[in-house]
Amino acid sequence: MSYDDVEIEDMEWNNELQAFTYPCPCGDLFQITKEDLKLGEEIARCPSCSLYITVIYNMEDFIGDSKKHVEPSKQQPIAVA
Amino acid sequence: MSKMMEETERVIEQEEEKEGLVKEEIWSWGAGTEGQLGTGKLQDEHQPQLIHSLSSFTSISYLSCGGAHVIALTPGGRVLTWGRGTSGQLGHVEMVNCLHPKYVESLEGVFITHASAGWNHSGFVSDTGYVFTCGDGSFGQLGHGDYVSRCSPVQVLHFKTRHVVQIACGMRHSLVLLKGDTEDLIYGFGSGKRGQLGISDDKQKSLSIPHVTLGLENVKIRIIAANGDHSAAISLNGHLYIWGRAFCGASDVYRPCRVTADLPLIQVALGWNHALVLTGDGEVYMLGRYNYNVPTGIQNDNLMKHISEDEAVMQRVIDFDSRKVVQIGAGAEHSALVTDDGSVMTWGWGEHGQLGLGDIDDQTGPRIVSLCNEQSRKPCVGRVYCGSGFTFIVRT
Repeated sequence: MSYDDVEIEDMEWNNELQAFTYPCPCGDLFQITKEDLKLGEEIARCPSCSLYITVIYNMEDFIGDSKKHVEPSKQQPIAVA
Repeated sequence: MSKMMEETERVIEQEEEKEGLVKEEIWSWGAGTEGQLGTGKLQDEHQPQLIHSLSSFTSISYLSCGGAHVIALTPGGRVLTWGRGTSGQLGHVEMVNCLHPKYVESLEGVFITHASAGWNHSGFVSDTGYVFTCGDGSFGQLGHGDYVSRCSPVQVLHFKTRHVVQIACGMRHSLVLLKGDTEDLIYGFGSGKRGQLGISDDKQKSLSIPHVTLGLENVKIRIIAANGDHSAAISLNGHLYIWGRAFCGASDVYRPCRVTADLPLIQVALGWNHALVLTGDGEVYMLGRYNYNVPTGIQNDNLMKHISEDEAVMQRVIDFDSRKVVQIGAGAEHSALVTDDGSVMTWGWGEHGQLGLGDIDDQTGPRIVSLCNEQSRKPCVGRVYCGSGFTFIVRT
């Protein structure tokens, strides 16, 4: 059973891991690579435990120009009045 | 803080120790691969471990456990942190993990009275009502008006002239409680995507400047809590307010919503998909459910009794053999409590040993944790603190 459904925009790009990540309740991170996403993989796994999440995304966003930065890696600064 | 003051304080603490004023036991168990258990090892522990490194150098008055790090406060207002530090959440300047408790040097000279460890960020409140934050700031959860992480605690200037008494750090957001003469105010900052800031009738993007939580006008607040994408507060008259991510698949709640309960509540502990509340009579109720691989049917049939017929949101956690519960704690997917006879009980997700029962099994209802040493048979008052996948207790 998938632990949660998480939209790709809620995941963070982790440069070190070269993967999109999301917090796992065990303390580690659910992870999925751009290559996985291009192949249509929608399961992000935690390397430390049995849990996994389902990633919600458009596969088209990841096919094509691999150098294009498709998703913001982190929340971009937003001007707050 | 000057070297001399530091020395003086150290001497005072050493003297306190000599006089036998301190000597609580600190135990930890569960996920440990980031050093969060304070054992000096990078491994999970399925059974309670006595933490000598902490008990040996000072008395601990309060703990807060986050995603994979821990903040400890001494009675003298000093701050120790350990565990995952790669986002700066330990406040040690260097953004690295720390396997042993270490003083946060930049807070020396400031008397810290309250602290909270979030997923990857930390908040500290001083006796003068100042707030300091450090760690991951990607969602604005540090409250400094930007989305930058900090490796050392920085004062949140928004509250410079206000008196803050509590801070609560969740996965990507923070709450702050201000005590006023006439009313209390809760401020939220960080991610508001699930409504966890409670500052508008709609979901919010990330906000890096604190905003006032709505719908709590004229309510005196006893405690605030945050974990995952949830927020909660308990009022002085015993009402529970929750906002943020929905429990049980309902809709997210964008501003504080009072939960129907006829019983006065005194404590709340939030997980990532459940919440525990403690009544003044020593009973525990649970909202939501665990969200790991345990079939829903098994969870609900065992040891839980519905009390609210209209919504069935609050379920009584039973089977304490007439003992009263004095304190509660919640990890991401596990729960813990302390009874009036000093027993510690845990239940929920157990894959990393976070239940401390010697195995990695899940438990649908409370089980007693046994502490294997002679002292553990002495009567004691304990407090339990849960991090995402781990648990700490302090016994005096």
